[in-house]
Amino acid sequence: MIGLIAHNALLVSLAAVAFGAILTPVAIRTGRREWLQLVYGAVYTNFLLVSIAAVSMVVALVTHDFSVSYVAAVGSRSTPLLFTIISLWGALEGSILFWAWVLGLYSAAVVALHRRRPGNLVPYAVMTLLAVAAFFAVLLVGPADPFLPVSPVPADGPGPNTLLQNHILMAVHPPLLYLGYVGMSVPFAFALGAIFSNEAATNDWSILSRRWMLTSWGFLSAAIIAGMWWSYEVLGWGGYWAWDPVENASFLPWLTATAYLHSVMVQERRNMLRLWTLNLCVATFVLTILGTFLTRSGILSSVHAFTTGAIGYYFLSFIAIVLVTTLVLVAGNSERIQTKGKLGGAASRETVFLLNNLFLTAVMLTVLVGTLYPLVAEAVRGVKVSVGVPFFNRMALPAMVALLFLMGVGPALPWGSTTWADARKRLYPPGIAAVILGAIAVIAGARSIYAILAFAFVGYAAMSNLREFWIGMRARHRAHGESWPTALLRLIAGNRRRYGGYIAHIGVLFVALGITASATFRSEREATLTPGQTLTVAGHTVRLKNLWGREEPQRSVIGATMDVLGRNGTVIGTMEPRMNYYRVSDQPVPTPDVRSSIWGDLYVNLMAFESSGANATVKVIVEPFVPWIWFGGLVIVIGAITGLFYGPRGATAPAPTTNPAPNIGRSGTAPVLAPNPAPSIASADP
Amino acid sequence: MNWKRAAIAVLAAAPPIALFAYGFSRDPAAIPSPLPGHAAPEFTLAVFAPGEGPLTRPLGDTVRLRELAGKVVVVNFWASWCGPCRAEHAGLSETARQYAGKPVRFIGVLYNDGAAAAREWITQMGGQSYPAVMDLRSLTAIDYGVYGVPETYIVDASGRIAYKHVGPIPPSVLRQWIDSLLPNATASEGIPRAVVR
Amino acid sequence: MKRKWITVGAGVIVAVFAWLLFGGLEKNVVFFLTPQELLAKGTDGVGVPVRLGGQVKPGSVKWNAQTLDLRFIVTDGAREMQAHSTGAPPQMFRDGMGVVVEGRVGAGGVFEATGLMVKHSNEYRAPKPGEEAHEKYKTLMKQSSQ
Repeated sequence: MIGLIAHNALLVSLAAVAFGAILTPVAIRTGRREWLQLVYGAVYTNFLLVSIAAVSMVVALVTHDFSVSYVAAVGSRSTPLLFTIISLWGALEGSILFWAWVLGLYSAAVVALHRRRPGNLVPYAVMTLLAVAAFFAVLLVGPADPFLPVSPVPADGPGPNTLLQNHILMAVHPPLLYLGYVGMSVPFAFALGAIFSNEAATNDWSILSRRWMLTSWGFLSAAIIAGMWWSYEVLGWGGYWAWDPVENASFLPWLTATAYLHSVMVQERRNMLRLWTLNLCVATFVLTILGTFLTRSGILSSVHAFTTGAIGYYFLSFIAIVLVTTLVLVAGNSERIQTKGKLGGAASRETVFLLNNLFLTAVMLTVLVGTLYPLVAEAVRGVKVSVGVPFFNRMALPAMVALLFLMGVGPALPWGSTTWADARKRLYPPGIAAVILGAIAVIAGARSIYAILAFAFVGYAAMSNLREFWIGMRARHRAHGESWPTALLRLIAGNRRRYGGYIAHIGVLFVALGITASATFRSEREATLTPGQTLTVAGHTVRLKNLWGREEPQRSVIGATMDVLGRNGTVIGTMEPRMNYYRVSDQPVPTPDVRSSIWGDLYVNLMAFESSGANATVKVIVEPFVPWIWFGGLVIVIGAITGLFYGPRGATAPAPTTNPAPNIGRSGTAPVLAPNPAPSIASADP
Repeated sequence: MNWKRAAIAVLAAAPPIALFAYGFSRDPAAIPSPLPGHAAPEFTLAVFAPGEGPLTRPLGDTVRLRELAGKVVVVNFWASWCGPCRAEHAGLSETARQYAGKPVRFIGVLYNDGAAAAREWITQMGGQSYPAVMDLRSLTAIDYGVYGVPETYIVDASGRIAYKHVGPIPPSVLRQWIDSLLPNATASEGIPRAVVR
Repeated sequence: MKRKWITVGAGVIVAVFAWLLFGGLEKNVVFFLTPQELLAKGTDGVGVPVRLGGQVKPGSVKWNAQTLDLRFIVTDGAREMQAHSTGAPPQMFRDGMGVVVEGRVGAGGVFEATGLMVKHSNEYRAPKPGEEAHEKYKTLMKQSSQ
């Protein structure tokens, strides 16, 4: 019953989005702009209908309605309530439904926030969003219909994939990922809308789209970090990144989105790179669809490839349509979109941004080629290969290390141009931090040149970004006698976009430090222990206390209780690495235990055990600085949020012809004074 | 619009699209199987679930692959604990019924499972048209290189494996293969009968 | 004139990048082979990193908890290959299951594994009756419930 209602809701939503997408150009061409209200109505209707379908699915899951095919496939009476609810995105059909819902949400938000803007940009952007929504609606009523009736109705189901029901982060990572992925459709829609409405030769569309891009980028960054955390906590190998196709799929659009967030500033300030920025917008969207396609169609094998199906052909057609349409539109209009701005000087912020875009694109292409190469090799040479981790590390790491360096150079240089002497003066102080951190790394035992450079550049960039805060604070403190905390808050409030960016930089530096340190200074040992025996790794000692078993409704748990010993042999804590046996699979899910401190993690995984309880084989890994990665993710999100809410709602104001760059005076605080070297002054540039 | 540039752009899009299209002509999840094109490993297995109607084989009867020479044989490995097997079951059973009058035989090989649980599952799923046999100690599964269930092997009239399918097999794929392997068959004949029914 | 030089420069950068990329690929691809294919390579297959795919031959798994030595045979139905790995096996390692083993053939024709990847996929298997964890590890369950 509930399945029928939801299925019909989806059918009607398909009709609504198709109607809206077709009506838009008709309304505009015939000059009947009042019809656009119908289009916007279709957007809201679609959101309502998809919400009904999504809520129906949650209800069906929670009430164990096994007459609904998706529930029969992923539901189980013994699964705890939380994991029952989140199995909404645990398998293919449900995740497509969730995708459609998020897209409906974004589309409704775009209409609600921008519908009053005159011109054809917003209607055409809405049309693009509706066209994308139509694709997902077709999937939902066709090959990925989650509401098929099942007859006879089974008494119980197998439950969700065991890897997905083993950790709470599964409640966090997928929604963040979808919010990030799907959000990328909005800047894409604005980019295409700009071309359709002949507004691509202005900067308006990018002013509208950049906040949406920043929002999605924030979600995607958080999702990637949460995914790393999940992999670290569940897969039991003590790592968080393996260059797996699925991981790469989330990283590719992040790279182009990051490049966009930088190039859009060059576009606004220097009237350069407009075509390039538009390309980044489009590329980001195509990469999100490609990522979904790669992981959901099973075209590439991956440890994460949970689902496969006939749906791949639909994705293939969709990718072909998107690629051809956007390439024709962008290439066909490229001459009109091109900008004529000139590079100010070699030692300027825009040079750094150009290099930043160059390296980000190079990393993106490297990862893309490495991910797709197995497919190419099989098509061309007929051999089955996989591209090893060394390829990605060797090819991508140098560029990523260079990006760390640029993160320190960019904030220190002004827009336009400066003299070499001045540039040297600005770039000198962070150099000291670089030397100190690099030296510490060498003394601590780092020998790889990339690791040493990474440490040094983290120091360099951290000093450089923090110095921006320091200089601004000092100026306010001296000029207005503000207390230091007040000065900091007002400084950030005065130019949220700029300081939000610096906060995000600092977050990325935390992540970079955590990754470099844990990769460089990791130590591990495995041993088979009988109760009472100890194992020492890099100064950390654990002792096996006992091995135990426990019955839970949906699984059996075998665990080892380990005492963590302090320096003088006293017990300072216990850890319980476990192995969870779910009813549906004879492959247990390892559940390592992690003990964190600010300096790093002690990671213990139960690898094997004697069924009598006589001994247990454990792997103990000491991973310095890993929590800094997760903390860095939080800082990145704070940076994104800070940068999101800048200035008044000028972006939606009637067609500004000049660039409404954030003006510090606008928020009511005094402008930062002269000692501040950078763009608060340049921001007045048209 | 500059149509020349647009045309160049479309040409640029062609190789990746072709590459992805190629991706579908093969199954990335499958570890290359040496079997297709080779003689299907022989098996001798006892029936534990007889099937229905014209396809019935008596309980305890022995099914030998050799005796089915000259017919297209669909060998489906399954188990009652296997989630994806539920998805393909109705399609398999129905397709087997449609081809009942043709030289085509369907055999379900039970994998790592008990006869009682498997019979109960069949009842729960609304019956099964073709017989199921028991593969004690999984010897046949190992001969065929089964990785997990469901897996389906289509053996041609000369006893060679024509096709191996990993995961739930869609009826359309099944029909396509059977039709292509049937000697000078009018391909669609089996299907209208099902519609009439 | 200047534009021409920019184009040439960009072309050179792209060419060098592509060269580096594909050079790196050639050095770092890992071939995916079955025992039959690997054995067919003869001595060419020795010392080269490969991913060996196949089934764990039932009854072939020998695991020494003290030395952390794991020995097993990978078979593809046609040929089989001895494999060896040090370090604890994933507990999920089981007779007859599909595995992908990363490593290389060492002297003596034994495959020295550096990584074991158990295939996770939709086609998961439930335990056989009598092999479920709560039955298999009864002793452990009883001890702790007391």
